[in-house]
Amino acid sequence: MSTEFLPRKQALLFAAPAFIAILPFLGACFYILRFSLSGEQGTIEGLSFQAYRDLMTPFFGRSVWLTLKLAFVATVIVMVLAVPLAFVLTSLRSSFFRRLLTISILLPLILNLLVQAYGWILLLGPSGVLNSSLKALGIIERPLFLLFNETGVLLGLVQTSLPLAVFPIVGAVRAISPEYLEAASSLGAGHWRTFKDVTVPLLRPGLVGAASIVFAFNASAFAIPLLLGGRRVQMMGLVIRDMISPLFNWSGAAAAGMILIVLTLFVLVASSWLVRLTTTAKETH
Amino acid sequence: MTNTHLNIEAVSKSFGPVTALNQIDLKIERGSFVCLLGPSGCGKTTLLRIIAGFEKPTAGRLLLDGTDISEVPPHKRGFGMVFQSLALFPHMSVAENIAYGLKLRKTTAKEQRERVEELLNVVELPHIADRTVSALSGGQRQRVAIARALAIKPKLFLLDEPLSALDAKLRDNMQIELRRLQQKFGVTTVLVTHDQTEAMMLADELVVLDHGKVQQAATPTQVYRQPANSLVADFIGAANLVKAEVDQNGQLALFGNTFKVAADHEPGTAVSVAVRAENISLRPAQANGGSAGRVVFARDLGAFKEWLVSVKDQEIRVRSSASDASEYQVGDLVHLSADPARLSIFPFTGSEDAAN
Repeated sequence: MSTEFLPRKQALLFAAPAFIAILPFLGACFYILRFSLSGEQGTIEGLSFQAYRDLMTPFFGRSVWLTLKLAFVATVIVMVLAVPLAFVLTSLRSSFFRRLLTISILLPLILNLLVQAYGWILLLGPSGVLNSSLKALGIIERPLFLLFNETGVLLGLVQTSLPLAVFPIVGAVRAISPEYLEAASSLGAGHWRTFKDVTVPLLRPGLVGAASIVFAFNASAFAIPLLLGGRRVQMMGLVIRDMISPLFNWSGAAAAGMILIVLTLFVLVASSWLVRLTTTAKETH
Repeated sequence: MTNTHLNIEAVSKSFGPVTALNQIDLKIERGSFVCLLGPSGCGKTTLLRIIAGFEKPTAGRLLLDGTDISEVPPHKRGFGMVFQSLALFPHMSVAENIAYGLKLRKTTAKEQRERVEELLNVVELPHIADRTVSALSGGQRQRVAIARALAIKPKLFLLDEPLSALDAKLRDNMQIELRRLQQKFGVTTVLVTHDQTEAMMLADELVVLDHGKVQQAATPTQVYRQPANSLVADFIGAANLVKAEVDQNGQLALFGNTFKVAADHEPGTAVSVAVRAENISLRPAQANGGSAGRVVFARDLGAFKEWLVSVKDQEIRVRSSASDASEYQVGDLVHLSADPARLSIFPFTGSEDAAN
């Protein structure tokens, strides 16, 4: 490219603080990897797969399955909610309403997770607003259990990760020139046909990016399953913490953490590979 | 009998308080090539978008073969359009782009393939069907966009400044090619441009738009020779607008020469005279008095020479053919004389000074 934002050398120089900030994280990752291969539970001692072998239990297997399932379902729900929201946000002409909606969507990112979780408990808990109103109206006799189970966790995951999906999709929608849509229209495509044939394919990279962020965020969730799952929904984040805090099984926690990282990476790489496969197959066709 | 294909009746368009189009009446003949020409902001693109159906007129209606299509959505009009950005779908191959409109029309794969092949031959790009759009050059994209719009056998062929992104030589070639294609298919065509050379080269009928109104709709020659008003005269060609006065004898004094003018100009009224740069000739003057002017700018453009001559407080543009041996340098004193047969005289409105 003849036009560069910054010459490579200067860009590297300016990026140096970021590299320095990333280093401790990379160091921590390496440390976890090393600890997961330790022969002892509390210290790094020797080289062994014992920690991984100890995880091969039905309990841990269920936790892995639950984590992937909840993260996947939450991602699907979030995407279904986020795409129309992104279109509404880009179509608003009034800058007041656009800002209002933007702030409403952004709010979960600004508010502390703890506050949000307690908000849900106040609203949907056994003696929360919803249950007391329904009881007062005589619609139910015993409270609905919406929280402290998988439904509650799913609700929390969807709500906290929605903004992570909306804004990348908004960017992708804005990047589509209206002339593409008009071109499809002039060739005879109605609204739905244009959406299916032109908008969605052009949005695809943005959608995959947004879904990846949401999936990774939800797979590693900790506060939401802790607060809204009531210890009954054992996602991997919780399992890892329990190994550390009451059990002091550092090597086991490290091994579980490595498995979580590898699984998440695998899902992300596989999904983007799948998308690329389906699109290039179409182009060479 | 006239053969009107598209009849635009009293179409107006406002965007909030801004009037983009004001009572446009226009009849477009079947098979003709119409150019909408005007400065930026004149409403030409809005008019094309109304024809295409992307904008709804605030008032007025469109009749296609006598049927009111004002309420028909763009995807049901069956008009082929070439956009300024071309808008070729980046996720489809060249063949898929061209076949897209056919696919929507429930044609068989075989018919689509044949039509794509036919059109790629017509635009002289027979071997690029399987390429992606990003692999094409600017001129190739242009042709693919034209092929895509023509593939659906459009009732009207609409083009929104499609050649403006091309370099001069390529644009010249594409203009000739576009005109040939249009004649080959016999399709009624409306092209929007701000480039008057392009418009004069392509159009059967030239529609000059300005301030949201049709200023003149006529053949290119008529528009050039007999501009309807000073706006048209100013916009088309290198015209000079000079303020002058019709004297008591009904005579007009211009550059020290006097002419008899038509009786419809009252003696004593101010007029503005449009005179094209190539209809003025120069001869050397001895003293800086009366009608003489001073050359303030001179250039040789190969095909012709051009000078700016300062007369009173106005600069007059003068052109001579390359075969003309006359040489005037900056600072020379000259007399000007205009060809009386090639003058256009309009009532003076006061806007002429701003135009110059």
